[in-house]
Amino acid sequence: MTDVTSNSAAAASLSAERRARRRKRAFRKALMPWLFISPYLVLFLVFTAFPLLFSVYLSFQEWNPVTGLSGMSFVGLANYAQAITDPWLWKSLYNTVWLAIATGIPQHVIAIPIAYLLVTAFRGSFRHLYTATMFIPFITSTVAISLIFYTIYSSNNGILNQWLLGLSSVPVIGALFAWVPDAMPIRWLGSSDLLKPAIAMVVIWKYTGFNIVIYSAGFLTVSKDLYDAAKVDGCNAWQQFWHVALPMIRPFIFFALTLTIIGNLQLFEEPFILTAGDSGGVSQAGLTASYYLYLVGWEWLEMGSAAAISWILFAFIALATSVHFYFNAREGLEGHN
Amino acid sequence: MNKFILTCLASAAISASAASAAEIRLDGFPDFNNHLDKVIPLFAETNPDISVTYQMNNHGDHHKKLTTNLATGSGAGDIVIVDIGFIGSFIDAGGFENLSDATYGADALADGFVDYAWSQGQGADGNQYAIPIDIGPGVMYYRRDVLEAAGLEVEDVITDWDSYIAYGEKLREMDVYLIADAADVASTIIRTTVQPGEGFFFDAEGNSLITSERFVKAFETAKRIRDAGLDGQIGAWTNEWYDGFKDGSVATQLSGAWLLGHLQNWMAPDTAGKWGVSNLPDGVYGSWGGSFLAIPRQAENKEAAWAFVEYLTNNPEAQLASLRNIGAFPVLKETYADPTFDEPIEFLAGQQARRLFAEIAEQVTAVSPQKGDLIAEDVVINGALLEVLNDDKDVMAALRDAERLVMRRVR
Amino acid sequence: MPALTRSLPAVSKHAVMIVGVLVTIFPFVWVAMMGTHTRSEIYSSPPPFYFGDNLISNYERLLEIMPFWLVLWNSLYVSVLGTIGAVFFCSMCAYGFFAYQFRGKNVIFGIMIASMMVPPVLTLIPFFLTVRFLGILDTHFALWFPGVANAFGIFLIRQYMTTSITRDLLDAAKVDGASDFRIYWSVVLPLIKPALATLAIVMFIGLWNNFLTPLIVLSTPEKYVLTLALRSVQSLANSPWGAIMLGTFLSMVPLLVAFLFFSKQMMAGLTAGAVKG
Repeated sequence: MTDVTSNSAAAASLSAERRARRRKRAFRKALMPWLFISPYLVLFLVFTAFPLLFSVYLSFQEWNPVTGLSGMSFVGLANYAQAITDPWLWKSLYNTVWLAIATGIPQHVIAIPIAYLLVTAFRGSFRHLYTATMFIPFITSTVAISLIFYTIYSSNNGILNQWLLGLSSVPVIGALFAWVPDAMPIRWLGSSDLLKPAIAMVVIWKYTGFNIVIYSAGFLTVSKDLYDAAKVDGCNAWQQFWHVALPMIRPFIFFALTLTIIGNLQLFEEPFILTAGDSGGVSQAGLTASYYLYLVGWEWLEMGSAAAISWILFAFIALATSVHFYFNAREGLEGHN
Repeated sequence: MNKFILTCLASAAISASAASAAEIRLDGFPDFNNHLDKVIPLFAETNPDISVTYQMNNHGDHHKKLTTNLATGSGAGDIVIVDIGFIGSFIDAGGFENLSDATYGADALADGFVDYAWSQGQGADGNQYAIPIDIGPGVMYYRRDVLEAAGLEVEDVITDWDSYIAYGEKLREMDVYLIADAADVASTIIRTTVQPGEGFFFDAEGNSLITSERFVKAFETAKRIRDAGLDGQIGAWTNEWYDGFKDGSVATQLSGAWLLGHLQNWMAPDTAGKWGVSNLPDGVYGSWGGSFLAIPRQAENKEAAWAFVEYLTNNPEAQLASLRNIGAFPVLKETYADPTFDEPIEFLAGQQARRLFAEIAEQVTAVSPQKGDLIAEDVVINGALLEVLNDDKDVMAALRDAERLVMRRVR
Repeated sequence: MPALTRSLPAVSKHAVMIVGVLVTIFPFVWVAMMGTHTRSEIYSSPPPFYFGDNLISNYERLLEIMPFWLVLWNSLYVSVLGTIGAVFFCSMCAYGFFAYQFRGKNVIFGIMIASMMVPPVLTLIPFFLTVRFLGILDTHFALWFPGVANAFGIFLIRQYMTTSITRDLLDAAKVDGASDFRIYWSVVLPLIKPALATLAIVMFIGLWNNFLTPLIVLSTPEKYVLTLALRSVQSLANSPWGAIMLGTFLSMVPLLVAFLFFSKQMMAGLTAGAVKG
């Protein structure tokens, strides 16, 4: 009797305990993902959120930073109104998009096959050596890049012009370059038509190696068995690349494309050094949107106006990225589980 | 024995820490470090209680950091160097100490300084916010050998811009460029022919002068030079620029006094004796560059900072030392009486060039900086001028477009 | 190995690579060469494309204008800490995004991607305010810590996880009674080594080459990092370019070493065999 009551009491308390434990477990289960992403959340709130809000606030102010924080005055939407009717902003957005496309596509078209070749056709130290060398442009410091490319693009004694001249005197292909001697000296950095291509070459040169590394990491996830299976099915080399390897690295293509879209639309350093910071070069042909907002904010000291431009640029990047996500995210984010 | 040394050291340390109560930091850009390394010990001899350190960043970085420091009210040194290009937008913003205030009494020093430089350190309220430390009197550098081969005297060349261009026509037959970049002529005219009371780009009321006769003449003169093929289309600070100095393929260069040091030290050391300097063409006076010292309001040791500012700018020894150390031309007038200024300079075939620099410095008229100068500079000089020269845009159209762009921003 | 290997004669595949190598290696070689010349030689035209004989004097000059090895050490310290932190925290966050379904996940992920789109030029002043507010001005901590859980790294690793880790694997580990952290640490991390190595490379280079943050954060020359020190001695007219180029070259060497080290880890992924088929 006593046993029974005590037993049922024990059972009751046991089930309460179990419920509590289950609740606790459910709670912990719900909490788990938040625990994992907490480092990002904390750092975002501490170091990123405030600067973002600050720059939103700033875009409604007129502010010469040199006057200190108290020097702001509210101007409503005036900064935005001024920005969207600003011919230099539209020119710079055009340049940005031009450069983003002209540098973005070649980067991937070159990087994907080279990465594939590196991963499938080379082993050991050769692969190592080649990858490392192709990565060098990405680690080269800005000073070195500006010095080197000034020398290459220089109009009178520049290496590029010397080469073109040399090519024009080669017997067979010389005919293709017959126009070169008449066009000399070609002013790569001094004419509005050539400035953008000249900048584009530097950007492609610098970032292709980075993409090669990302894609190499991608191709390395494709298992050997898959290729073997494809071979058994009678796939040739091209089909293996196109039908086996490429679909497998879709998440990497998605990732690299996202970075390229965002990075290229923020392009700043290369045009800045190749125009020596002189407001975008001849006819602002090298003025990108980031470059322009740098000019407005840091050279002209109109931080409010620059903030408005930066949010307009943000809108453009967000738009381009959403289009990319809309078409590619399903496969790009999920892989093929 | 050991104990004795230790106590001595300890007491020395104590007195040292008490003495160096005033620690000041100067923020600037190279080459000032080479000057400071030599004068800080000299300053310490008479001011043992002030210890000076400095932080150098390159020119652009320094001004960016200074902007951040002024914006946030913290992090700046006790003294900051400000380049002349930024001085106009910095001094009226309220971030610097008013040096006309009785604590500093800067106004009493005014007469000792080259006029135009002194007044550029003044805010719109007439108070002194920055003290000039060096200046760059503008001259024309020319190749003597080329001039001789053309059978001319330098006076014939610099009479006016027409005679200057006529010289260029002659040089073209000799396959020598008159000047590296025609744009230099335009910016010289724009900067040196400002009417009294006007700014570079705006009049006293803030109205644009960008389409005025001064700009039209400047642009058209440069365009004439470019169209006649008289300039090398060579940008400054490039290998081609240095080449032009070395091989005599460029006959003249309009620049500041400081270029001399660079020419003889590293740009074209082998051309010693082949160079000369003269006044700018067309009888104009102007300056290329210059720097100022200011004390941020956020500075902690303002008194000590002022002592060092005074030493660097108002002490003839320190001013002369900067000429020796980094080729920065003194702004303190009494230094011009020093024998250094009459020394013949071998690189310039024995010319007493520093005397000429000093005379020019006293002739330059002050142009007060105005809000919007930085924008106008970018839009007009870097923007419109290049479009006219390189892209054949019509002068008037380019100036009108530039004016519209500038006035949109300068409200 | 796939058929491509055999169908391409060894010569031609090397030829392709060598063209690439020639285009990419010359700045490195050139900078090395410039480090052995005087300023006048560097600024002659055409500039010298051979080694000069001023290496020693450039090196002495370099030590004169900056405490070179000290600032190199500072750079190394900042970059190593930042890289280790990033590899750990980014993979942790990426695992959170990869392995769980939870409310608000897509929103946070979206904000994270969007935060990469804000042009960095303008956030400098508020970043300075934040750093000052936290009292970490003039510390190395402020250089490496803010970036240890960054959007780029989390995104990269998440993407890698989607290709190399299956749900079945996670479920199996759970059935075995492993805790969440244990699954992340002992099951997932070893499988994503190549991605961690890739992230490490990019982070290390980013931290090493960063100069904007050090510029506004640091005010003691002894705390300077290499990029800042090398920039701080440059002026338009009067820089000791031979010494600066030597310093630039020496500053690229650790990056190359780091790359070789990590890329070995990355390539190890292949020999270990991928898990997924």
